[in-house]
Amino acid sequence: MNQSLENPTQKQPPSEKGVGMTPRVRATPLHARGEPMVWLTGSALVMCLLMIAGLLSLVLYHGGRAFWPGDVQQVTFAAVGEDGKPGANPTVVLGVQTEEEFFDPGEADQKAIAAMKNAGTLPPGAVDASGRAARKLLRVGNRELQDQPFLWVPLYQIQKVETPAEATMVERMEWGPWFGVPAGVEVRQRVAIDQPAEKIELLVTREGEHGKETVARTIVGQAEGKPGSTVVDEVRVIGKDDPARAMAVFQKLWPEARARAVEIERLKEIEVGRINHEIEAQRLRVRQAEVDFVRAKVAFETGAPSAPVWLWWVGVVGAVGLLGAWIFTRPKPPAPGELLIPKPTVTALRAVMLAGVAALGIFAYVERPNSLLRADQQTVERLSQRLEAVRAEAKVQTERLEAKYGELRTQTAKIDEEDARYRVIFREVTTGKFAPVRQTELGEPLRISQVVRTIQPNDASVFSKLSVYTSRWGEFIFGSPREANTEGGIFPVIIGTVTLTLLLSVLVMPLGVIAAIYLREYAKQGPLTSAVRVAINNLAGVPSIVYGVFGLGFFCYSVGAFIDTGSGVSAASRVALPVVGSVWSTVAWWIGVGVLLLLVLGAVFASMAARPRPGQYATGGQVWLARGAAIGWVLCAVSFAGLVAYTPYFNGFFEANLPAKTFNAKGMLWSALTLSLLTLPVVIVATEEAIAAVPRTMREGSYGCGASKWQTIQRIVLPRAMPGIMTGMILAMARGAGEVAPLMLVGAVKLAPELPVSSQWPFLHLDRNFMHLGFHVYDVGFQSPDSQAAQPIVWCTTFLLILVVVTLNASAISIRSSLRKKFFGETF
Amino acid sequence: MPTMQTRSGPLQMTTPLSVNPNDRSTTSGGGTPGQNGSANGSASATAAGGDVGGVGVLDKNQGGAEGVTAFAECIKAGRPFPAYTHESLLREDHVIHVKDFSLYYGQARALYDIAMRFARGKTTALIGPSGCGKSTLLRSINRLNDLIDSVRCTGDMTLNGTSVYAPSVDVIDIRKRIGMVFQKSNPFPMSIFENVVYSLRIDGEKRKGVLQDACERALRSAALWDEVKDRLKESALGMSGGQQQRLCIARAIAAEPEVLLMDEPCSALDPIATLKVEEFIRQIAGRITVVIVTHNMHQAARVSHSTAFMYMGRLVEYGPTADIFQNPRLPETEQYVTGRFG
Ligand SMILES: Nc1ncnc2c1ncn2[C@@H]1O[C@H](COP(=O)(O)OP(=O)(O)O)[C@@H](O)[C@H]1O
Ligand SMILES: [Mg+2]
Repeated sequence: MNQSLENPTQKQPPSEKGVGMTPRVRATPLHARGEPMVWLTGSALVMCLLMIAGLLSLVLYHGGRAFWPGDVQQVTFAAVGEDGKPGANPTVVLGVQTEEEFFDPGEADQKAIAAMKNAGTLPPGAVDASGRAARKLLRVGNRELQDQPFLWVPLYQIQKVETPAEATMVERMEWGPWFGVPAGVEVRQRVAIDQPAEKIELLVTREGEHGKETVARTIVGQAEGKPGSTVVDEVRVIGKDDPARAMAVFQKLWPEARARAVEIERLKEIEVGRINHEIEAQRLRVRQAEVDFVRAKVAFETGAPSAPVWLWWVGVVGAVGLLGAWIFTRPKPPAPGELLIPKPTVTALRAVMLAGVAALGIFAYVERPNSLLRADQQTVERLSQRLEAVRAEAKVQTERLEAKYGELRTQTAKIDEEDARYRVIFREVTTGKFAPVRQTELGEPLRISQVVRTIQPNDASVFSKLSVYTSRWGEFIFGSPREANTEGGIFPVIIGTVTLTLLLSVLVMPLGVIAAIYLREYAKQGPLTSAVRVAINNLAGVPSIVYGVFGLGFFCYSVGAFIDTGSGVSAASRVALPVVGSVWSTVAWWIGVGVLLLLVLGAVFASMAARPRPGQYATGGQVWLARGAAIGWVLCAVSFAGLVAYTPYFNGFFEANLPAKTFNAKGMLWSALTLSLLTLPVVIVATEEAIAAVPRTMREGSYGCGASKWQTIQRIVLPRAMPGIMTGMILAMARGAGEVAPLMLVGAVKLAPELPVSSQWPFLHLDRNFMHLGFHVYDVGFQSPDSQAAQPIVWCTTFLLILVVVTLNASAISIRSSLRKKFFGETF
Repeated sequence: MPTMQTRSGPLQMTTPLSVNPNDRSTTSGGGTPGQNGSANGSASATAAGGDVGGVGVLDKNQGGAEGVTAFAECIKAGRPFPAYTHESLLREDHVIHVKDFSLYYGQARALYDIAMRFARGKTTALIGPSGCGKSTLLRSINRLNDLIDSVRCTGDMTLNGTSVYAPSVDVIDIRKRIGMVFQKSNPFPMSIFENVVYSLRIDGEKRKGVLQDACERALRSAALWDEVKDRLKESALGMSGGQQQRLCIARAIAAEPEVLLMDEPCSALDPIATLKVEEFIRQIAGRITVVIVTHNMHQAARVSHSTAFMYMGRLVEYGPTADIFQNPRLPETEQYVTGRFG
């Protein structure tokens, strides 16, 4: 105290002259100044941004350009003769130019070019200064007639490039685009003519509702019940050799034809989708009843035992009695002003009672007298009766469904017949062949309904090109893929990706947040927790394909098999074993349950006893007890998993569906789980940081109000940490949405027959395969038979993948910022 | 000559103990972590004598300059210093009884055999220089120090006769009966209403009427009702600093605790807000036992019934506020309250 009253400034500084006598010369070195560092950091940022912007603009440029309709060129070219004159018998093709480049000419090319140079007929621009020749790539389509839908044409061979107004690019449902000139619309019909067959003209030209038309007739026979009247098949050709009129008529008929095609699609969807599903459900019901019956019968005949009924009664009475005792011994609420001090012995006893109630309850439930899991005479009879009833019911239902199915088929056939009447002829320029209805029927022209879109870009205005452009984008986003994914849309792919990403975040959030809460809030901070943390961080660096392999092996093959077929210790397989062994397998399982309950109790008590006295260090014994308890908890978890895996009472959820696989295969659920494992480290690290950043004063305030630890976490820590947790989710989503490698193993497919979400129960089909944008890019770009044709799809898919990720992130970010506003005050 | 008198209960105490500080200092020195408080000579003597808890009363005549030397020497030698507790306080009915309580942060000792009682319905001020252990003592009462891993303690405290540090006692039950207001206001990230009824919510109270009543009552006591009654649903984080602190006060008393601990509640407040808080403390006097830590001597003088002066982890003098400020028995108390050291 005396020292504190001393004046500390009385001591003299060591310098002779004292402070302030000679001002020190001070300088700031250049590297310590701000500006160079600003430039350095700024340029680093600019470099990063440039690279990202470069990637994005590349994708944007190609994706944006892909659907813009280019001119359809009519190119006349021929091999050049030795005299350097343009060759005779030139080939004429229609096509869209997709690329132009210089190439090193081969020997024949060099000779031809030299000859043309001599003759002075070399077209300008065909050869560059260094002697390389130019060529262009034409998309010529018409796959039914030629192998190569793309054609490289050297410029020096080209005699003529025209852009005729009637040159048309026809996008078809199948076989890619067709380039040709419209040469008429065919309408077929069967009519009765009031004339005898011999008087009918077989070729007429007349005025129809679409103007002048040529009609070719084939006589079918005499009309029934009408002598003198003949039935003929007419083929009316409108706008023959008049491209403009043919096109106009085609366009008039096209909307209706498309509507028919869509209607057929819809009916098939109902047929295949709904009715088939219902018929399948009926089959499964019968099959399940059969399986249940056979299992019980075999079990009964081979003498596999069930617990006698009196034992069941013991179980019930015991469970009820223990529950009563548990309720009876509950501690009384303290009087006001008194503290609730529970007696340790009573607490322990009550815990034992609760465990007993659990065990006896499970026993009483699974061995209840009317349980279908039992193997006695009575059960077999009941199951046999049930089987009969189910069979009868299923028969009625199936007949009804099949009648409906037949109805739909006739309806479809009728529309299809009508649809077959309308045809369109697009002729190729050189050979005059027209687009066929299918490759095996080259003589039959294309149905109008098979045409997705026609474009005559050469004389088209920007607006009509724009409408083609938007309609192509519309189809791309909302349509289904065609032609091995190289055409059509990617709607199922978008749906698959979005569903997967949402499911993944729904799965990874609770997992990661709970793990992080334990690590940060409950676990004692020490070398072990640090090791766990390091391990988690390292998990983020494991190659994603490894996760894929794990997902396939663990989820699809092990867990999936368990879900599909059950534990394999069921009564059916029980009877395959010697009878004594089967008794023992069940008894052993029940002993296992008992051991697990004891383990749990032991772990609970060890944990309780390991708690140090308030305000004291843990003693050595308590430390060891705590370690024992931890090991006990791990053992509990392991033996719980083992007991579930070997339960004799579970035969799988999809037993009836066997041998078809449901969850024992690639699917949505396993993909989402695999990706959630993959993204778990991100979420855990982000959540931990967010939790650690919650101010201590807030927690203390909560504890001071008498909140328990969990209440504090739940009401204060988690809400406050939510924005940070959302950041983790955003990162996880971004990482998961772009992941491809593991998905190839656990769920993504080239073409999924059905969407993972539908309007049918259970709406989200976790067992289904799905399509994924990332996998789609890989598949279409590198695995498709016609990768040149697929290029636009690849660019646009990449573009959309980025868009989907950005959209998902943006919505998560907006949620986060609204949470921030709520949980972080603006005032201080 | 010093005598140690044993009593059967704290309330029956009528005869003041007379202890000479010089003699007292010959008993054993401060304990070390892990060592039980009862190992101390003085503590064992008192423990044997019941729950006196080392309450000593200095002879009036032995104050003065002699005390300064005694105190400094005690600390230098690491011996416990016998606190001077005014005898009038010993006669009061008490809620909290601190019995030779010592506390260590790891190896560092923060409290030295504190022995004192907090009278029921009265306001007690804890004064002393920064770092002398006032907050530590306050936080020991509702066992908030349990949250710090390195904390060990010896000795005991009782709340209404029940040991706070007994292993069988649920610490949550203790905290439910003691409200606490912190130096830095710490509103929760939720609405004003939810902040105030937090204690009730965690007790599982769901009846809307009860919650609303409690909220209004608490806010009225804290003189905040008129300011916030129209924006109860808004976030508490948007309030001003003074309002936030009064909100924390309302929150602390919403569940009607027996004891209210306040750790420098006004240190960040403007004078008007400070006045409001002081007014609040005066109002609840009689109903709630308040222990308040403050650096403001005038505030201590204005709001408290009794005042304890602490220094370097020791309780130095504990007596009625008027005595402490106008007629302190120990010279170091006088120096501190007159601002000559600390
Ligand atoms: N969490 C802690 N860990 C270690 N030492 C602490 C901690 N809190 C306080 N102390 C020490 O305990 C002593 C008393 O602190 P405190 O009770 O906060 O003092 P006061 O509130 O009187 O200013 C100080 O020396 C301080 O450094
Ligand atoms: Mg303090």
